[in-house]
Amino acid sequence: MNDRSGARKPVGADLILPVCAALYAVYYVWSVWDFPAEAQLSGIILAGLLLSLVAIYMIRIIRGLSLGRYSLGMGNFFGPQESRKSRGIFFLLILAALVGLPWLGFTLSTFVFLAASFFVLGVRPIGRGIMIAAIGALTGWFFFIFLLGTHFPEGPFERLIGTVL
Amino acid sequence: MEYDLASLSGLFGHAFSMWWIMLPAIVVGLIAGAVPGFAAHNTIIILLPLTLALNVEYALAFMVALYCASHLGGGIPAILVNIPGTGGAAATTLDGYPMTRKGEAVKALSLCFVASVLGGFVSSVVTLFALPALSRVGYYIHSVEMVVVMLFGLALIASIAAKDMLKGLIAGAFGLMLGAMGADHIYATPRGTFGFLELFDGVPLVPALIGLFAISEALVMLESDALVEEGDQPKTAATWRESAREIFSAFSHWWQIIWTSLLGLVIGVLPGAGASIASFVAYQQSQFFSKTPEKFGTGHPQGVIAPESANNGVTTGTLVPLLAIGVPGGSTAAVMMIVLQFHGVPFGPRLFVEEPQLAYGVIAVMAVSYVMMIPFMFPMVRYMSRITVISTVYLAPFIVAFTLVGAFVPRGFLFDMGIAVAFGIIGYVARKTGYHVAAILIGVILGPLIERSFLLAMRISGNDPMVMFSSTIGNILWVMLILTLALPPIMSRRRAKLERLKDKSLTGPDA
Repeated sequence: MNDRSGARKPVGADLILPVCAALYAVYYVWSVWDFPAEAQLSGIILAGLLLSLVAIYMIRIIRGLSLGRYSLGMGNFFGPQESRKSRGIFFLLILAALVGLPWLGFTLSTFVFLAASFFVLGVRPIGRGIMIAAIGALTGWFFFIFLLGTHFPEGPFERLIGTVL
Repeated sequence: MEYDLASLSGLFGHAFSMWWIMLPAIVVGLIAGAVPGFAAHNTIIILLPLTLALNVEYALAFMVALYCASHLGGGIPAILVNIPGTGGAAATTLDGYPMTRKGEAVKALSLCFVASVLGGFVSSVVTLFALPALSRVGYYIHSVEMVVVMLFGLALIASIAAKDMLKGLIAGAFGLMLGAMGADHIYATPRGTFGFLELFDGVPLVPALIGLFAISEALVMLESDALVEEGDQPKTAATWRESAREIFSAFSHWWQIIWTSLLGLVIGVLPGAGASIASFVAYQQSQFFSKTPEKFGTGHPQGVIAPESANNGVTTGTLVPLLAIGVPGGSTAAVMMIVLQFHGVPFGPRLFVEEPQLAYGVIAVMAVSYVMMIPFMFPMVRYMSRITVISTVYLAPFIVAFTLVGAFVPRGFLFDMGIAVAFGIIGYVARKTGYHVAAILIGVILGPLIERSFLLAMRISGNDPMVMFSSTIGNILWVMLILTLALPPIMSRRRAKLERLKDKSLTGPDA
């Protein structure tokens, strides 16, 4: 019995995208429901196409489950167990960088994000991570803002340099 | 224009004399192409004050050289870190990145550079002679044909990029659905925007590209310590001799480079088709005609050459409708059009009558740009392949930090960085479960274009759906589309059946 379940292909994670796509298609049709027919047409055709494909895929999955070829496990979806925590925190740092960017500006937020990421991902000694983060952030500032004049969000660092220069 | 030796040498001589403006443009273009979000049109927009201040010829030479170099640069991150610098390099990831993971980054980069430079050069020279004839292709492609061309491109991508065609089609259809987000083309009413004002113009493409490829790759990349398995990592940097050997041996694929670049040129002439479709069509055609089709997707040199030469063939193609009928073939051509209009340059037949030197000169500048890129290949092959030995704990944060902010550049909305993260999550799920991200991205790009052409065709025909089958070219394309979808499963079933029969005959009736 164990051998049999071990041979089953886990397809739980494979369902995430089609389910989300189908939900979005349903929401899309709902959002155009009261529109004139011309405005609905292309959206409804696309949603119909997507829902049909998802339905075919679901039939395949249900058939595989009933025949014992598939299981609803997540397989290797989250990657290696030992690095899950650090990768999870890294993702949270990405979200934190988005929140902090308007206040810190490009250079400082890049520096803080890089230094924190290196620390979380296990770069040691910590001083090395901080130094690489500082060099990276300053290089980014020099290339993107100073050289190319890109309009990135400004913070204390950019304002200070602007005043000095 | 007369195609005599004196005119041609005059054109090329004049193009070479602008080396001082083309070389910096090539350097900027290579860097811009390699950074997702800094595609050629964005970079030209950023440098607009410079191009507007220059004389029209210099401005054009600068933009054209930058544009060509960015197409070459787009292949570098596609090969080394699985992140295409531009949409046209998405197909390069299919075999380029597996080559890197096998420790063949130097070879993959050499193939990419040689295919780009030779493909771009050949297609420019061919365009120079075929310009009067090529400019007529656009006249035969109307809204109906455009719908089928784009669906055909998407079907190809779905069937090539994903190992499971059904998953590829779901990914492509999901991309189309996301691409249809935003205000509709007739009544300007918002559809599927979750109430966000920032999405009224539809899904912004640069954040979608960055999320699907860069953010998701950074998240997946961290699951292992290095891009390349420890045993396959080069111990030292490639020597000059090794780099030169790989570059010269890449020229042995000259025939494939030439025909795929010409394929790219023809697709580039169709307004809206662009490098993304051309590179996937070239990839599929190369696989079809290859003696070893089963090696595609596993790190096969032909799988790097096809998309790279095709997307550089497109560079000249996209300028043809701009010069001939004043319709830009792509976003970069559209930006160039704005600069040329600022300088009062006419388009269409008037351009060829009033300023033939400028019209043909653009194509000559393109050919010369590719020649000027040759010296850049050797140091790039030698040093860029070293990226693969950098640990992922350094690489992933840098990728996120510098690409995420690239999502901010086109519109200046912080919201767009959030979109990039959302697409990063979609990309992560897609990568981990076998729904190829390229199919989603191309769907997002083509969604609004298909819808526009579809609605136009319907309006012209008085809402008669049979208009979709009213043109000969369109009907031929429909048949090809159906064959593209139907043939692979039939062929694989046939192959499996033959394998079973072969096994039976080998093992004998007693087995």
